[in-house]
Amino acid sequence: MSNHHPDDITMLDYAAGTLPMAQSLAVAAHLFLCETCRTRTTQLNTLGGAVLEQSSPQQIKVQEFDRFMDGIDDESVAAKAAVPKAKNGNPLAKILPERFSDINWRQQTKEIAEYDLTKSLGLKGYRVALQKIKAGARVPEHTHKGRELTVILSGGFSDELGVYHEGDFVSRDATHQHTPTALQNEDCICLTVLDAPIRFTGPLLRWLNPLFAWR
Amino acid sequence: MEAAKTGMGSDEAKKWGRLLQQVAHDRDRAAFREIYEYFAPRIKAYAINQGIGQQADELVQEVMTSVWRSADKYVDTLASPSTWIFTITRNQRIDLLRKLGRLKAEINVETEDLWQIPTEEDTTIHSIQALAAEKHIRHSIKQLPEEQLIAVRKVYYEGKTHQEVATELNVPLGTLKGRLRLSMQKLKVMLESKDL
Repeated sequence: MSNHHPDDITMLDYAAGTLPMAQSLAVAAHLFLCETCRTRTTQLNTLGGAVLEQSSPQQIKVQEFDRFMDGIDDESVAAKAAVPKAKNGNPLAKILPERFSDINWRQQTKEIAEYDLTKSLGLKGYRVALQKIKAGARVPEHTHKGRELTVILSGGFSDELGVYHEGDFVSRDATHQHTPTALQNEDCICLTVLDAPIRFTGPLLRWLNPLFAWR
Repeated sequence: MEAAKTGMGSDEAKKWGRLLQQVAHDRDRAAFREIYEYFAPRIKAYAINQGIGQQADELVQEVMTSVWRSADKYVDTLASPSTWIFTITRNQRIDLLRKLGRLKAEINVETEDLWQIPTEEDTTIHSIQALAAEKHIRHSIKQLPEEQLIAVRKVYYEGKTHQEVATELNVPLGTLKGRLRLSMQKLKVMLESKDL
């Protein structure tokens, strides 16, 4: 059961459909693992439904309905209309192998591996990746230029601000410097969404910056 | 405008739910006409407010087609009809913007995977709770202070960024965020005080 969730404003933007897609992916990954936030989402959707009802309607011509109905059964006309699918599915299912062990990890240090999704997702201006931190290992202290969203998919980590477990959603920005350390018992696998590069801040670790840099 | 102010009561929601059912089971065109006549003008207004007025008719077409074809997927214990239709409208709006290349950071994940519409398969959302919350939220938004309601509407209904809304209202970004945060807290407190 997840204990750390997206803040209210992130959830509001998500439900309104205005949160950038890369960040929405992080929220969706969290929702898959968090019942509490699925319920929050249904409540925010309600807000949308109420606002829709309470809007001043635009005029629609009387004959429009008949014209609409004439075309409705014509598959070719309406086939593009997406039909909502029945599921509470894992939004990452289509972009990841079935098991984490099947992932083609790229070792960055002895203890940290990465699987960069930025290219396969066709993203620009964001960086999306899975990180795998060996049980008990520490990620060098770093800070972020922009906002870093992390969703823990497996295992857990702790940093200066708390302890996080599977399903947790963590948001860090330039005001935070942190040193995440994977929990002892198992490897920690996270989804991270960055809207600007991270910077390693420790004096001996600056050499890592190019390795983790924006690509 | 009168009806627009007060919104839907639960009797109204039941009525739309019944109509959706008739569409699902009997392909009832008269029932669908009622749904169309109520929602199509509102979806059109949503499109115009979202700044995609030129695609307003297309959005109406897409959403109403989805409603016609997927009426059997509507589950009345999960959401009211207008909430369900809102989620379809939001997703179709995103799809439309994607098609037009109007969204910045594009991503190869389908809209329906990023913004999933709850269905009965998701048994973890407690349906009674969802509906009670629904009724309560409708009541609660009427009690939000005007300036908070305006902020929420602009983000939610007009699809504006926080910066755009702040500029429009002529307040600093921090003030706008404060209003949004307060409104969310207020809705939450009102929900919790109901002991759902």
